[in-house]
Amino acid sequence: MRAGLRAALDSITRIRGVHGAVLVAADDGLIVAEALMEGVRGNAVAALAASLYQRFLRATEAAGVQRPEFLHLQASQGSLLVVPAPSGVLIVAVAAADINVGLARLEMIRAAEAFA
Amino acid sequence: MSLVNFTTREITCKLVYYGPGRSGKTTNLQYIYQRVPEDRRGRMVSLATQTDRTLFFDFLPIELGAISGFKTRFQLYTVPGQVYYNATRKLVLQGADGVVFVADSQARQLDENIESMQNLHANLLEHGIDVRTLPVVLQYNKQDLPADLVLTPVELDEAINFRTWPSFAADALKGKGVFETLRALSERVLRRLSEAESA
Amino acid sequence: MTTTRAVEPWTLEPLRRFVAEAGARLALLTTPAGQVIAQHGFTRAVDVMAAAALGAAIAASTAEINRMLDEPKFRALTHQGVRHGIFLANFETPRGSMLALVVYGAGSSIGLVQLFMEDLVRELAAAAPVREAQPRTVLAADFERDLNQSLASLFGREI
Repeated sequence: MRAGLRAALDSITRIRGVHGAVLVAADDGLIVAEALMEGVRGNAVAALAASLYQRFLRATEAAGVQRPEFLHLQASQGSLLVVPAPSGVLIVAVAAADINVGLARLEMIRAAEAFA
Repeated sequence: MSLVNFTTREITCKLVYYGPGRSGKTTNLQYIYQRVPEDRRGRMVSLATQTDRTLFFDFLPIELGAISGFKTRFQLYTVPGQVYYNATRKLVLQGADGVVFVADSQARQLDENIESMQNLHANLLEHGIDVRTLPVVLQYNKQDLPADLVLTPVELDEAINFRTWPSFAADALKGKGVFETLRALSERVLRRLSEAESA
Repeated sequence: MTTTRAVEPWTLEPLRRFVAEAGARLALLTTPAGQVIAQHGFTRAVDVMAAAALGAAIAASTAEINRMLDEPKFRALTHQGVRHGIFLANFETPRGSMLALVVYGAGSSIGLVQLFMEDLVRELAAAAPVREAQPRTVLAADFERDLNQSLASLFGREI
């Protein structure tokens, strides 16, 4: 894995409560790089998160508020966080329910800027 | 291998037009395409080179209608005739239910006809198909050319038809013999299907 | 109306689910020789056959290249077009090898198609019936009469 990709993933996974992170090609839903715990289906997370992002993108564009900058999907036992990078890559994090969302968001935005 | 579905009562058979380059295999399919009503045929697909020589295959699906209560469809394929394309020829032959061997009747093409016939046998053998039981008919095309340029059907039978398969003289460009050839092969393919299932 | 049809009925529900979940526009299940087993989205049977023949040709030629390279059988091929993507998968079922040809648009992605293809293969394996005994006869002894009539009407001529 290229050093830049690894560094981006490391900066997110070192936050307490983050179970893993994936860089996903937004258009095709394929994994670019991943650092996930065992038992998390990386390809499924990538494909479905990209699909969700595309749908939200259509919704926000239709509403005239441009593209989404941060998605936080809170589930009963954890969260899925998504930040788009300008290069067409999505940064996706799988996290515990008690994650510090603000901190995770900040690190994900920093990682996204690194891809710009 | 033909696909028979007893629930939906459908039969689909794959028929392959084989033979040397420029013998008229594509012309057979083009004639059939022109003559068959639009609602009974699909698009004719040709994977050809820029000079219109068949590169991979031509394909034409036709709906025969109901035969013994089964909706029957034929998938007609041609193979590329040129020696160079044997790999693709072999692929198209996979799963064939019957073969029309289209020979070029011109005397100077005799060696090409013999070589192509040997190639058919070799490729069937590689697919594990028993040539003795596979329905095959021969078509001697270009019989419309001047008599001094072409071999007669009898001469061609002697040269390449050592298995005494049914053979038909043809001028595929004008359609002569095209229908008869297809009819003969259709009958043999369906009869074999019937015999195989009832055995 | 877009329809899903299956020549082999046990493939219908798995294919329906796949189409809905992956957001496929067209989907075809065929044998490696290009015989159609099930399809979604095509309106004319003869168009289905052309697509099936082309899919089988791509699969056969790719398999041949793999054989020349001593590579194991390929699992999937993708083509990313401008408006549509094409995905061709090769897999085994208890009823033999199958090909799946999927065409998807902007509403889906290669990732989704790949993901739900795994489910489709699993569901087909579970749904495949034990090979049942087929009726002993297919065509009646006098099928030639029907054949002659069909061919005559096809070519618009008397026999």
